[in-house]
Amino acid sequence: MAFQNQVLFAKDSVYVHINVQDTKDKDAHIAGRVFLLNKPEGYFIEWKAEDVLNLETTSEEWDVINYKNDREGDSVSMNAKMDARRKYNISFDILDLKSFKRSAPNHGWAYIIFILKDGTTFPALHFHNGGSKALLKELENFIYIRRSPNDPRLFLVKDHDPEQLSQSINELSLFTDSSGAYVQNFVNDSKHGLSKKFIKSPYTTTLGGFSKVTNFLRDVLMTPENSQNLVRPQSEVAELLQDDIPGMEISQLDEPGFEMITKTKLPPRPTVKRGDPLASPQWNSFFDAEGRISKVDELKDIIFRGGVDPALRSEVWKFLLGFYDWDSCSKKRTDQRKRKVDEYFRMKLQWKTISAEQEKRFTLLKERRGLIDKDVMRTDRTHKFFAGDKNPNLQVLYDILMTYCMYNFDLGYVQGMSDILSPILVVMENEVDAFWCFAGAMERVCHNFEMDQNGMKVQLSQIHKLMQIQDPELCAYLEAHDSGNFYFCFRWILIVFKREFHFHEIQRLWEVIWTDRPCSNFHLIISLAILESEKSTLLENKFGFTEILKHINDISLSIPLEETLRKAEGIFLQLRDYKKLPISLKEILGLLPPAHVPASQSMENSMFMGSTSNSSSSLQQEAGVKVDTPTLMAGGAGSGASSVKGVTRSGSGSDLTKGTVGAACSANVARSIGMSARYGGGARQSNGGGAGGNAGATCGMDDVHKVFT
Amino acid sequence: MSGRSKLLKVVLLGDGGVGKSSLMNRFVSNKFDAQSYHTIGVEFLNKEVTVNGENFTMQIWDTAGQERFKSLRTPFYRGADICMLTFAVNDRKSFENLPMWKREFLYYADIQDGAPFPFIIVGNKCDMPNREISEEMAQSWCSRNANAPYFETSAKDATNVQLAFISAVSRMREMEDQLEVKPVQTNSVDLSKKQKPLNSGCCS
Ligand SMILES: Nc1nc2c(ncn2[C@@H]2O[C@H](COP(=O)(O)OP(=O)(O)O)[C@@H](O)[C@H]2O)c(=O)[nH]1
Ligand SMILES: [Mg+2]
Repeated sequence: MAFQNQVLFAKDSVYVHINVQDTKDKDAHIAGRVFLLNKPEGYFIEWKAEDVLNLETTSEEWDVINYKNDREGDSVSMNAKMDARRKYNISFDILDLKSFKRSAPNHGWAYIIFILKDGTTFPALHFHNGGSKALLKELENFIYIRRSPNDPRLFLVKDHDPEQLSQSINELSLFTDSSGAYVQNFVNDSKHGLSKKFIKSPYTTTLGGFSKVTNFLRDVLMTPENSQNLVRPQSEVAELLQDDIPGMEISQLDEPGFEMITKTKLPPRPTVKRGDPLASPQWNSFFDAEGRISKVDELKDIIFRGGVDPALRSEVWKFLLGFYDWDSCSKKRTDQRKRKVDEYFRMKLQWKTISAEQEKRFTLLKERRGLIDKDVMRTDRTHKFFAGDKNPNLQVLYDILMTYCMYNFDLGYVQGMSDILSPILVVMENEVDAFWCFAGAMERVCHNFEMDQNGMKVQLSQIHKLMQIQDPELCAYLEAHDSGNFYFCFRWILIVFKREFHFHEIQRLWEVIWTDRPCSNFHLIISLAILESEKSTLLENKFGFTEILKHINDISLSIPLEETLRKAEGIFLQLRDYKKLPISLKEILGLLPPAHVPASQSMENSMFMGSTSNSSSSLQQEAGVKVDTPTLMAGGAGSGASSVKGVTRSGSGSDLTKGTVGAACSANVARSIGMSARYGGGARQSNGGGAGGNAGATCGMDDVHKVFT
Repeated sequence: MSGRSKLLKVVLLGDGGVGKSSLMNRFVSNKFDAQSYHTIGVEFLNKEVTVNGENFTMQIWDTAGQERFKSLRTPFYRGADICMLTFAVNDRKSFENLPMWKREFLYYADIQDGAPFPFIIVGNKCDMPNREISEEMAQSWCSRNANAPYFETSAKDATNVQLAFISAVSRMREMEDQLEVKPVQTNSVDLSKKQKPLNSGCCS
């Protein structure tokens, strides 16, 4: 029996912005319609793409449109585009709604981000043609909404109980002009009968009791209601008690016998301005007669402040990523480039010439091939550059990653590397350039990918340490909710926010980060900035461990980049000017005089500590502890040996190959053996040799010889 | 997300690329996204189900399979109620790695030696023509592993996906009943080792 869903509200021209090349891309915004529906199961907010709606409205009834979770198999018949559209569909019971965020008032148009009780966070719904307020007004008839006292953009949904609901009628309505909100069939809903006992929230406890060391510890030790019921091991408790809590100023002014923790008194946050991207005339003005860049620092400052005009990226990135030396003249660059072309093909040839027979006894290579194969198929496939099953660029992606295995065999291929490569390849549109720029980018982040994962652990703990000073309140909350290890930031750090921003934004973010301004750990401060923006959402929704993880996973692609960069720089400046900043943090922020070895580099210098693993965290250094952990993998030291900047290649990969294939394999040799004028061709039968043959269209030999002038 | 449903933590394990994320998305939202990314870090999705009249919130955990990310994923095994060991029927290696995944799970989930635990074995991508593992081979492995139920699924065309997940719940309930060590009010025992139901602020 078909139940006619009652449409209480509908609005079209509501868009979801998806991750594609740039905002000018016509696929960047999916047009759709938002609904508030009265369904048999309850009241639902739904958003559907117009394409999907047009297709579906051929059948009149709503329950046909409503995608049934428990019926399998009907989406296979849909064509691919419909599938792609449909995956953005949004539908949720308003009883599951926990809060939502609205755009800042000065934003060009309004958008709303809905957040559910389990932390699920939907992509922003952009109301290009208005209507967001009307929807919220309508919604207010069914749920009690209040504005967060701490974040004017955040709105919280109170749990439904009849008392509160009647209250909502009396209280100031947020989205209506009159107080005539009415309740529609609401209390009849059986789900509403649930009595919600009001549990004293951990947030309130945290806030209220925050001034007391005792309460603070109690909060941390007695895992609050909302979080995982993991009992903290005795040892951890002991640790917590011993540690004085950095960033908290302890005074005894207030009440005798109680130590008072005040928030860290950082200096006020300066307003930070972002600038315009580096554009062509300006860029050209930096070169002298011999084509050498003068005033490198000034240039980097400009890039840090405004990024680079997309049209210049393929040139500028070559400097940022060490393909060219900053102090090189045009002549030297021509030579550099020629050598790199030869070098690349020499390494590419190494894996290309391994026969299937040989590979049977080369398990490691075979395994890597398999991994790369699978991941190439799962990297930025919504982006035009990689879209479509037979896209030749997939082969280029594959070839570069395989060649990187040869270049840095100790590190090999690790999941996440394809994410680092993809934006670089899109910018370079050339296999050789992309390879070397990728290698340069990897130099900065290779410690993220090492076997023992120490680079990751160190950085996550550095975020923790920074937050202890920068925002002790948020830090205590996260700790009290089993999130003090900052695992929820793992993806951010591993691939430098690649999945968190739209494609054009990640290109901007990366070029900013590659300037190493204001310090080489700016990405950690960016993490603090994003978390600060989410603070009210996490705390006021009383999110526990799982909800925090889910919410942070889900905000990807709805983080405003420029605002985040401004905030991050502001935080950096505050910390820099904070008189009592502990040494370990100064180290992280690169604020120590050159005599000290900054933490970020000590990680890189692990080679000099024999078999010591990269875990030489600043803490251990401070305490003078030298931990002699043997590296799990021979490659640990080798790949860590190269310097952070540039492409000083010291990986044993290249040493190993010296003299074997050697310089004999010039580009010409490569061409002559047919690997090619179109280097995607016929390498592996299994990977669609035919399609690969077209790779040259974008990444052909001709491009290789187009030398930067 | 009713307050009355019991939270079940389900951990999906298996080699990278066998289709864990795809299975999860097919089960939870009945979607298959051919353009999806490989998983980095840890993700989970919730799904309300009713099995034999009982309501459950299945909280399905999905991680990255590469060896090196082990230290990231293993903390999430704790408190699991169900483990789904996944391979792809067109990938022999992924099948051969099942014992490794099982061992890793038992070790980090802190399951007592020899204690029965509801494992479900899933052979995904059964829509693919180039099979390397026959149903018999898989069944035979299962029979040697506490007779774990085996399902051949396709996340792509939705074959058996619901069945596999729902059967996992029945399997768990059966094992609980068989054990009879646990008193009727199993809730308190179970919940003590895993996180609270989701909307814990307001219900249950
Ligand atoms: N033919 C087919 N392909 C699948 C199936 N399930 C997943 N895939 C594809 O296999 C690849 C790996 O899937 P994914 O879910 O990312 O694997 P995971 O690494 O185990 O999470 C993706 O390209 C999917 O599109 C399936 O049932 N049939
Ligand atoms: Mg996955």
